[in-house]
Amino acid sequence: MEFDVIFGNAARAGLGPTAAIFALAAVGLNLHFGYGGLLNFGQVGFMMLGAYGAAVVVATWGGSLWLGIPFGLALCVVFALALGAPTLRLRSDYFAITTIAAAEILRLLIRSSPATDVTGGPFGLQTIANSFYALNFLPDGRHGLGTFSFSSNQLWVMLVAWVLVLLCSALVLALIRSPWGRVLRAIREDEDAVRSIGKNVVAYKLQALVIGGVIGGLAGVVEALQQSGVGSENFEPQVTFFAWAALILGGMATTAGPVVGAILFWFLREGVESFIRELSTQSWLPDLLADFLDGSEGAISVTFMGVGLIALMALRPQGILGRGRDLHLGT
Amino acid sequence: MSTATSTATAATATDADGDAILTVRGVRRAFGGIVAVDVERLDIRRGAITAIIGPNGAGKTTLFNLLTGFDRPDAGAWALEGRALEGLPPHRIARLGMVRTFQLTRSLGRLTVLENMAVAAQTQPGERLERALLRWSWRAEERRVAERARELLDRFGIAHMAREQAGTLSGGQRKLLEMARALMTEPRIVMLDEPTAGVNPALTQSLLDHMRALNEQGMTIVFVEHDMDVVMGISDRVVVLAEGRVLTEGRPEEVVADERVIEAYLGRARAPAETPAEDGDA
Ligand SMILES: Nc1ncnc2c1ncn2[C@@H]1O[C@H](COP(=O)(O)OP(=O)(O)OP(=O)(O)O)[C@@H](O)[C@H]1O
Ligand SMILES: [Mg+2]
Repeated sequence: MEFDVIFGNAARAGLGPTAAIFALAAVGLNLHFGYGGLLNFGQVGFMMLGAYGAAVVVATWGGSLWLGIPFGLALCVVFALALGAPTLRLRSDYFAITTIAAAEILRLLIRSSPATDVTGGPFGLQTIANSFYALNFLPDGRHGLGTFSFSSNQLWVMLVAWVLVLLCSALVLALIRSPWGRVLRAIREDEDAVRSIGKNVVAYKLQALVIGGVIGGLAGVVEALQQSGVGSENFEPQVTFFAWAALILGGMATTAGPVVGAILFWFLREGVESFIRELSTQSWLPDLLADFLDGSEGAISVTFMGVGLIALMALRPQGILGRGRDLHLGT
Repeated sequence: MSTATSTATAATATDADGDAILTVRGVRRAFGGIVAVDVERLDIRRGAITAIIGPNGAGKTTLFNLLTGFDRPDAGAWALEGRALEGLPPHRIARLGMVRTFQLTRSLGRLTVLENMAVAAQTQPGERLERALLRWSWRAEERRVAERARELLDRFGIAHMAREQAGTLSGGQRKLLEMARALMTEPRIVMLDEPTAGVNPALTQSLLDHMRALNEQGMTIVFVEHDMDVVMGISDRVVVLAEGRVLTEGRPEEVVADERVIEAYLGRARAPAETPAEDGDA
């Protein structure tokens, strides 16, 4: 067994751009649910709008990427308002159902044939990030050790992505420590109590939805930059659930929770996948088992993550960084 | 009881007579076949302590919900100091100065006791999103808010819990906190739904003392109460609700002598002192 290979792969996934993308998505979800109690199961919808907004401006309309990114984020604001305004007055489960449906409908619309002229339909859009990589000041060649290594451009995306993660985490922290954040946390505890002391609960929830959604949109932008393109298959509902898994793993309503959770999630997922791949090549393994393992490492690692999350819920439901006694104080 | 117009929808509540702070005209609310509230006319006197009594299910809580915007009536009008309140959402009504508490306490469990208080301030500009990141623009007010919160907590005897999470308080302490939080909004009139339910006798006494002290400072207090000793001891006016209607209204000693009141309670074979225990909502 080549454990250095396995560890290298795992570390590369845990620190790579994908982990940063999920960290951003989870930071947004943390504002939504961890602090505001908003059950958003459609975070991928925001990611999709951020990514496609930027890509359409560049690839379809021939505009600048630096206009495309704000355009994508503006779409996220519109999506949040359209999603929240009618549903945030209702019970929270209506909102939850609406988010998951809206995100999937959006994806189906984007890949539908009438939309092909704009979104590329099932083929997506390509070569949108040239002006982003033109700014790369890192030296050429590969950087790193063994399997834990990145090309210059990969490193450039990572650098930008993790800086964005830091900035967004700092933004959420500052908001939560402000009187605005105090109202939001109060709403999470008991909406009616907050109404009774004169706060416009729906307005606060909408604001939180917009901000967390735009952070999700940034995650989508990074995804588009990383691939230098977009494709609707990257925005299936499971993306939202992986972001939730990262948040639960790291710990809700903590500043570092979503980030630590995303790093760990991808580290473990890739680690298990890589381990199974290595295992299937071992000569001492019976052929039957080796054949089974070969090619099913992805399924096995996702299963492992699922079982791991269930175990976490049983042993440490507040997540790695969460505060245990808080769980008993909720209303 | 004076007679009001029976066409409730046409009535407006702004024709207040005398020194009423809150006027209610023809407010009606039915749940399916049950008419929970049907109040033709009710005036709450400015600066008075008004007790609302009535058997279980009389519609006291529903009336509070309607007046404070938490529920919508089928018909009727009501006004606070001449300002019509129909159709306003709860937060607008609270901002106009009418603040309610809940029969089942609603503390913000994972906020500290101090935060529970601070969040009720109406003067903090940092609660607006566009100011939230401009720390310098709300820091001074935050200090004033904390100071006022501590004063109130002190008065209610829970200042030593200020840094604790509200979820760790006892049921009685939560009742105190909820009342203190309502006062933090600096209301003109507070509507307390069974403030003494589930509170031990010693705390009840201090709670009543607070109510009296607040009243002396000019606050109008309306409260729902099942314990007749409390009602007799503290209130200036008593309103008796039965099956959603105002049965009678007057000074405490007038009301207890009223045949209809005795009948309303005994007719249901329930003594008014038979207070339902409050469930702790941990
Ligand atoms: N949301 C609701 N749906 C249906 N019926 C309701 C609803 N709320 C109240 N009721 C009914 O309306 C009537 C009045 O209830 P309400 O809670 O206002 O009484 P109350 O005077 O506060 O009683 P208690 O002393 O027990 O608190 C009761 O018959 C109750 O069952
Ligand atoms: Mg009641």
